[in-house]
Amino acid sequence: MTALIELGGLTKRYGAITALDGVTAAVDGKIIGLLGPNGAGKSTLLKCMLGLLPYEGTARVLGLEAARDGAEIRDRVGYMPEQESFLSGMSAVELCTYAGELSGLPRTEAMQRAHAALYYAGLEEKRYQPIDGYSTGMKQRVKLAQALVHDPEILFLDEPTNGLDPRSREEMLALIVDLPVRRGCAIVLSTHLLPDVDRVCDQAVIMHRGGVRFAGTIDELRGARGRDSELLVTVKADAARLADELTRAGATCRVTSPIALQVDLPASATSQLVFAAARTAGLQVRELGVRRESVEAAFLRVLGEDGAARTAAPGPHDGGAR
Amino acid sequence: MSAGQIHDLGYKRYVGSRRAVSTRWTVIMRHQIATAWAGWWRFKLWLVAAFMVTAVSSVLLYTLGDKLFRRIGGFGGALTRFVDGILPDSTIWYCKAGFLVSLAISATVVAGDLQSGAFTFYFARSMRPRDYVLGKLAGLGVILALIMAAGPLVLALVRVGLSDDLDQAIAMLPTLYKALAVGALGTVLYTAIPLGFSALIANRRHAMAVWAAYYLLVGWLALGLSLLTTPALSALDLASALHAVSLHLFGLHETGRAGDPPTSAALIAILGHAAIAIGLVVWRVRRAQQTGVGGAS
Repeated sequence: MTALIELGGLTKRYGAITALDGVTAAVDGKIIGLLGPNGAGKSTLLKCMLGLLPYEGTARVLGLEAARDGAEIRDRVGYMPEQESFLSGMSAVELCTYAGELSGLPRTEAMQRAHAALYYAGLEEKRYQPIDGYSTGMKQRVKLAQALVHDPEILFLDEPTNGLDPRSREEMLALIVDLPVRRGCAIVLSTHLLPDVDRVCDQAVIMHRGGVRFAGTIDELRGARGRDSELLVTVKADAARLADELTRAGATCRVTSPIALQVDLPASATSQLVFAAARTAGLQVRELGVRRESVEAAFLRVLGEDGAARTAAPGPHDGGAR
Repeated sequence: MSAGQIHDLGYKRYVGSRRAVSTRWTVIMRHQIATAWAGWWRFKLWLVAAFMVTAVSSVLLYTLGDKLFRRIGGFGGALTRFVDGILPDSTIWYCKAGFLVSLAISATVVAGDLQSGAFTFYFARSMRPRDYVLGKLAGLGVILALIMAAGPLVLALVRVGLSDDLDQAIAMLPTLYKALAVGALGTVLYTAIPLGFSALIANRRHAMAVWAAYYLLVGWLALGLSLLTTPALSALDLASALHAVSLHLFGLHETGRAGDPPTSAALIAILGHAAIAIGLVVWRVRRAQQTGVGGAS
């Protein structure tokens, strides 16, 4: 079966600068996080995949070669940009209807789908008002609706939760999770907000300096670091007492809350040591699992020291990794 | 919308046919016309003004063209010149309306889209730069043609209709083509050239100001300098250039003003400006396509 996105030796040069350097990856999944510091090549990759830039190598989206079938790809892909991209003076319904028509839908169909997409995005009666007067949250919803209106098979979402208050962010993430279920479309989520990726994505592609540093599931990204000797333990009470007991047995412990601790077991020990120590201390183990990295930690690890330094010190227009 | 609640009016995958990519420029054309039609002062007001010019000119053609009136008031050929000149001279008035429409609409189109980020909206879809350029030119062309071409065409029809007999009417038929030619040239002038300015200057207001300054100040300056140097220079006054072509087509160039440009210079000025302007629009839109989607990096 063809992968959603297949890249083979994809190279893009702007004069002396190599924006994409032989990128090779096959990406599939429902919600794919596209991550990387600014300048990593995400935007260039996106443009190549939409057939907007010439390139060397291959870039296949939905089985179509972007350089040759760019127009067809763009008919089957929805794009929600990060920046504002509205037409002045239009209402949300007018804009989405126009978007549908530009994507080839007949006018009546475009209008019906514009109403449905805006309703789905949560604009309800406000969809008749001019977009110029919308709040940031409402504009984000319009951007999502205009990307959805022509019934795409893949949605590219560029920083969809940027500038949203916590409630609006939750609602946007709920929509993102719902889209593949209800509409059967895959999502490529380009964002700097790693908690968003942690929350909604099942796949991740991490880019750095024009190359793909990681492509796989979120579990692989975080779990690749998991080892049986690094554990997370939750007890009913008094994690400190369990930590003392385990330390005496040769483990290294860090108490993270009154009921939780991280444990690095000594060589050749197994998780049975934790249960034995708990019995000795008279404590009840509630939960025990292999300690895995957060997506943020995994992201920084994948980028390496150089990438970490870059994301820690973002430029004036740089969102940086959070 | 309350948190966590998702509304859906019912979703069905679209399985119908889609409009061919090669015809989607017509969507942009329709949208451009609808946008212009939406307000009063940007287009409709000047359309009414053009209609008034046509109405007054038609009444003059009807009354002054009357045989009896001509017999009693020949004024040594001055009246005949006046009547014959009603149609070509009407371009002076259509130019005023055309300029105002071009100022309010044509000169703001590309600059407005650059400012609002609309190119990302267009080019994230299967639009090509040529679809955008063609759609905008066609949309603006229809709008300007209603000002610049419809009026002269109606006047030409009035002239043909006022013929004494069928033979004279047939002899007058070329008037229709000439009126259409003047209208088409005027449409190109007020469509393409200000659109070029809006592509050159990525700010709506600035583009309007620069187009107005170029059209008025450079035009006046060129007219003034042409009196001291060569009449060809006055072709840079685009309205005068169009009037000169109009007079030539209707065989009245000998009776034009002293400073009127030669027809060839006038044609070169209008078509040259338009070609450069369309080149600028194509360049700007191609650039916007490559930088618009996915940010600038």
